[in-house]
Amino acid sequence: MTLKGRHWVALWLTFLLLTLVWVQARQTAALVSADQLNNLRAARAALEASKAEQTARIRAAKSRSVLVPRAESLGLRAAVDSEIVFLELLGG
Amino acid sequence: MAAMKVRLGAVKVALALAVLVVWSRAAQLQIVEGSRHQAEALARRTERITLPAPRGGIYDRNGIPLALTQETFHLGIAPNEINDARRSAEEVSRNVREIATSLDLPLADVDRAVRGSGYAYFHGPFTSAQIRRVREIPGVHAEPVYSRLHPDADLARPLLGWPSSPGRPASGIERVLDSLLAGVSGSAVVLRDMRGRRYESPARLDAFPSRGSDVFLTIDAELQDIVESALLDALVELEASSGDVVVMDPATGEVLALASMRADGTSQMTALTDPYEPGSTAKLFVAAALLERDLASEVDSVWGELGEFDYAGRTIRDVHEMGWGTLSTVIELSSNIGIVKFAQRLPPEIQFGVLRDFGFGSPSGIEYPSESRGILRRPREWSGFSQASLAMGYEFAATPVQLAAAYSVIASGGLLLRPTLVSAVRGPDGDMLYEHRPEPVRRVLSEANAAKLRQMLIGVVYGQGTASLAALTSYELAGKTGTSRRAGASGYIAGAYTASFASMFPASDPQLVTVVKLVDPRGTYGSVTAAPVTRSVIEQALAAQTGAIDRIRLSRQRDVDESPDLIDRRARVYRFAWPRVERLDMTDSVTVVPQVAGMYVREAAKTLHQSGLRAVIDGLGLAAGTSPPAGDSVSVNSLIRIAAVSVLDR
Repeated sequence: MTLKGRHWVALWLTFLLLTLVWVQARQTAALVSADQLNNLRAARAALEASKAEQTARIRAAKSRSVLVPRAESLGLRAAVDSEIVFLELLGG
Repeated sequence: MAAMKVRLGAVKVALALAVLVVWSRAAQLQIVEGSRHQAEALARRTERITLPAPRGGIYDRNGIPLALTQETFHLGIAPNEINDARRSAEEVSRNVREIATSLDLPLADVDRAVRGSGYAYFHGPFTSAQIRRVREIPGVHAEPVYSRLHPDADLARPLLGWPSSPGRPASGIERVLDSLLAGVSGSAVVLRDMRGRRYESPARLDAFPSRGSDVFLTIDAELQDIVESALLDALVELEASSGDVVVMDPATGEVLALASMRADGTSQMTALTDPYEPGSTAKLFVAAALLERDLASEVDSVWGELGEFDYAGRTIRDVHEMGWGTLSTVIELSSNIGIVKFAQRLPPEIQFGVLRDFGFGSPSGIEYPSESRGILRRPREWSGFSQASLAMGYEFAATPVQLAAAYSVIASGGLLLRPTLVSAVRGPDGDMLYEHRPEPVRRVLSEANAAKLRQMLIGVVYGQGTASLAALTSYELAGKTGTSRRAGASGYIAGAYTASFASMFPASDPQLVTVVKLVDPRGTYGSVTAAPVTRSVIEQALAAQTGAIDRIRLSRQRDVDESPDLIDRRARVYRFAWPRVERLDMTDSVTVVPQVAGMYVREAAKTLHQSGLRAVIDGLGLAAGTSPPAGDSVSVNSLIRIAAVSVLDR
């Protein structure tokens, strides 16, 4: 069977249509990925901000400006050097 | 008919010319100027934007973050969008409350912005966590911007400084290492509509921004906290107007802690920028010159004139009266008369040369902008009294860091090392770009003479010397006090003094060189002001978890020094064997924790195993550091904790 002119036209139109559908599908997928990427980026930035905030709180809680007044309020004081004991490792 | 043909011919020619003109113009537009017009059209539809690179982090020597870059946001509110007719008044009111609550803004301000006619802008900056909920509200637009975050807001602030921003020049470490920290900006093309609104397209990213490198300072955050706390206490208790503290590792030249404070709460890095006359702490350099040139020994004596001596038209006085005194006694008692008499044995060129060799009068080369070189005049500029003045620590000026570097010469066995604040630099991928190795500048003293000088400094603290308030009972501290008059614009200010104490700990195998300087403290003298501050810093460092002190090395050194007379001087020495069982094979030998920071955790664990250690991994990705830190001595088979960070975090 030989293809007539209108068959060729139909074939080419179908090919064109499939190509357009393929391109559009790829673009849609890209937009969805971009959206997901943005959401992930925002989530990661939020987690990083949270981590930084927690780090800051830990550093603040460990700092001497916080610890020393609290220790003193409990009747504690900093050790003088004669009260500091290093446990000696045998064979060291 | 002929006329008809002529007219027809003319019309044809005219039409042909018209077509030619049209074709020519088309060719000009499409072919000759085509690319230009294409570029213009593209420029109207698109815009190239710069994508800022996140700045690298600054960490302490153990990987504790000191300055980080965080993505934050400015917030814009478009009233016409938020007040859309499709939304009820109740919904708008709820959104307004949500914005005010989440961003911690006054409700009235947000309400005014929403009811206004123009675009409202809240500078913030707000964190991602803060804007996470409000960015879903229609009409709320978040503009990302990178901000510098300091997890410990006050720790080492003047040292770290700030990156440059509009209206504020860069300062501190942020300035001097800006080229490493800044990273490389990326670029992208965004589409614009007819109103100029931008539309991002992921396909049009030209170049990814490249994150800046991470800088690991030599500072130990724990020790820095101790030093800042001790200095603040000293300023309050002694009513000093300002003060500086430097703690340096004499074996490497690494600055472990560096603090400068003023009583009014402001702080500038005066330990690096403001030189002062060091007073009696400089007497040791005369002794060093005499020993090194064989012009005197530590047992040579001079007559101390019982406290008063006329020299070159001036009267020199001592606080502690002295008769005959050896060079060691002169240093112990900090005798002005004695040191001036000893200095007369030094030719001016040698006296100048030795001070120069110790690093005075030239910048130390530390990584800090506007570091002062200090003041040291050449002998041809000296007056008749200059030699005596220099011997007593006047007529030349040094920064506390220069003084610490000079004392490190004595502590380290005679070698001047370049002081440094940068331990390592890692690229955005974790590659090691720079790792500090000790940088010897010159040999200033022989090891034997350095040991003699250390012995003199022990006498200052434990003998009949001026620094008994700095004495520790379990370990020996060596040091020299200094009290100097403070100069103003028109000569010395009455009643104004700088008190200082330069020391090394422990004396026989120094791990820390400390310089404490206090301006106008109550009590005036370095012996009763700066010396106790040093003792407090060392005691707190011994009690803390800081890795700045190698405790194994310290306990071994104590074994060596356990001579009966020393035990008599100490109050009590506690010694326990641990574990309290017979010797275990696993503790038979000692090894050093290897450096694994920057390696993947698998490789880090392998490296530790190869060193005979066990490893426990805390996290995934790259090793950020270990506990105990690299370089510490531990027994073989010890458990080392590897702190890891995600590759994405770095």
